[in-house]
Amino acid sequence: MVEYLQLGYVWMAQQIWRALPMLVTLVMMLVSIAPMNLMQGWLPAPDVALIAVFFWALHGPAFMPPWAVFLIGAVQDFSMDSPLGFWIILYLFAYGFTLSQRIFFRGRTGVGALFGFAIVSFLTAALAWLFGTVVFERWLHPMDAFAQAGVSVLFYPLLSRVFMFLRNALTTAPESL
Amino acid sequence: MAWNHRRRRPSSSTWAFFAHNPALALFSAIAFVILVFGRMQPALFEDVRGVVDDAGAWVMEILSGPAGEFKRWGEGLGSFFSTYEENQRLRQENAKLRASQSELAELQRKVQRFELLLKIPADAPVTAVAARVIADTSGPFVRTILVNIGRAQDVEKGQAVVDDRGLLGRVIATGYRSSRVLLLSDLNSRIPVIVEGENLKAILVGDNSDSPTLEYLPSGSRIRAGSRVVTTSDGASFPPGVAIGVVVKGENSPRVKLFTSEGRADFVRVLSYQAPVDVDQVPNEAVPADKLGVKGPATAPLQAVPPPRVSAPGGRPPSMMRVQ
Repeated sequence: MVEYLQLGYVWMAQQIWRALPMLVTLVMMLVSIAPMNLMQGWLPAPDVALIAVFFWALHGPAFMPPWAVFLIGAVQDFSMDSPLGFWIILYLFAYGFTLSQRIFFRGRTGVGALFGFAIVSFLTAALAWLFGTVVFERWLHPMDAFAQAGVSVLFYPLLSRVFMFLRNALTTAPESL
Repeated sequence: MAWNHRRRRPSSSTWAFFAHNPALALFSAIAFVILVFGRMQPALFEDVRGVVDDAGAWVMEILSGPAGEFKRWGEGLGSFFSTYEENQRLRQENAKLRASQSELAELQRKVQRFELLLKIPADAPVTAVAARVIADTSGPFVRTILVNIGRAQDVEKGQAVVDDRGLLGRVIATGYRSSRVLLLSDLNSRIPVIVEGENLKAILVGDNSDSPTLEYLPSGSRIRAGSRVVTTSDGASFPPGVAIGVVVKGENSPRVKLFTSEGRADFVRVLSYQAPVDVDQVPNEAVPADKLGVKGPATAPLQAVPPPRVSAPGGRPPSMMRVQ
């Protein structure tokens, strides 16, 4: 009985350990919506969730499985009051696209990764705008989505350092895993 | 053969990608189904949203404390270098306000007297509950904030939310101890308003910009830039006269520069108001002048002023009627 309990504890600890990237992302998302008025109303806040989804799809998809992306998207939908499923689909698209282009984004720790994120970010913004126009059933200004994509690209180097620190703490496995 | 191979490659590689990532395909399909069902049955996830908002509210309340301090620190840093100019400006403004204070008091007395003479029923009382903004959940397509009061404090859907400068938005969803507020700039925001001076009624329509548009104005109406826009009780949920902004020129239709701005409110007030509808109970007799405290020579009892005559020349629709 005690052995089973110990196994259970170990299993739970493993799950929490593996879910750390997702939990850290959720905390960062909550911090980003705290009323700090960081951009003084001039620019939109960066899309922290998209940065996390891209980073982990590139540097360690095992730490950010599709269910975690699904959960992050759902939290974004609830917090943004957008139709449930809207951001889930967009983040799953960004995740799938990044996974399929991992080899293309060579030099993943430097400019290559930033370039890759810029592509993914603006593609997701374009899709969000198109998708939003259909879902909200009215004309949306594309500039809002692209401005957020631009701000996210500016914030990527900073946040990717935080995630890289976490990745190095989680595993010493090569990045291809 | 090579041509055929190249032609088939994209679709086959897409299938191969999904075949290697069945979980991704599965969760994408689930998300799509949720989205479609959510659009078909909007009430389906409404309760879930309230529960999630409540669950997140206590975390956001903890975070909003330091976030507020950070915000004040940032704003303080910005105004540090302009303290002298700010002080001079405030002194001038204070002097102007002192001058207009006595004038305002006199006008208030006059208005009260006229209202009594005309037997205008008193406005329904407006009660307010103070709340803290715990999350600024505005995104590229949605402009909302979360406040830390809900059904436990009798907050209801549709109630107006104001800060110290004017109307911020209205409550669109309530949890037990949190409420979501749709800002005036949001795409889905529609508020009945009145343009002061011109006395024109219109609908303030949000379009995700800082200056919502004024729509459904009577055709041919003229509005001066700078006219104040305030709420009207037409919607039966907003108290009349709450300041919203001033009219500015727009490309196709006039716009309103809001007094409130996104992300600047720390504390707000949720207004509870119910428009009076039982007009039959108003007494139909004139009030004697001595009961009103009107000084001066004794005159005949004051007569109630007849209502303005309304005509619709040229068979215009009611929205274009002219009050004579």
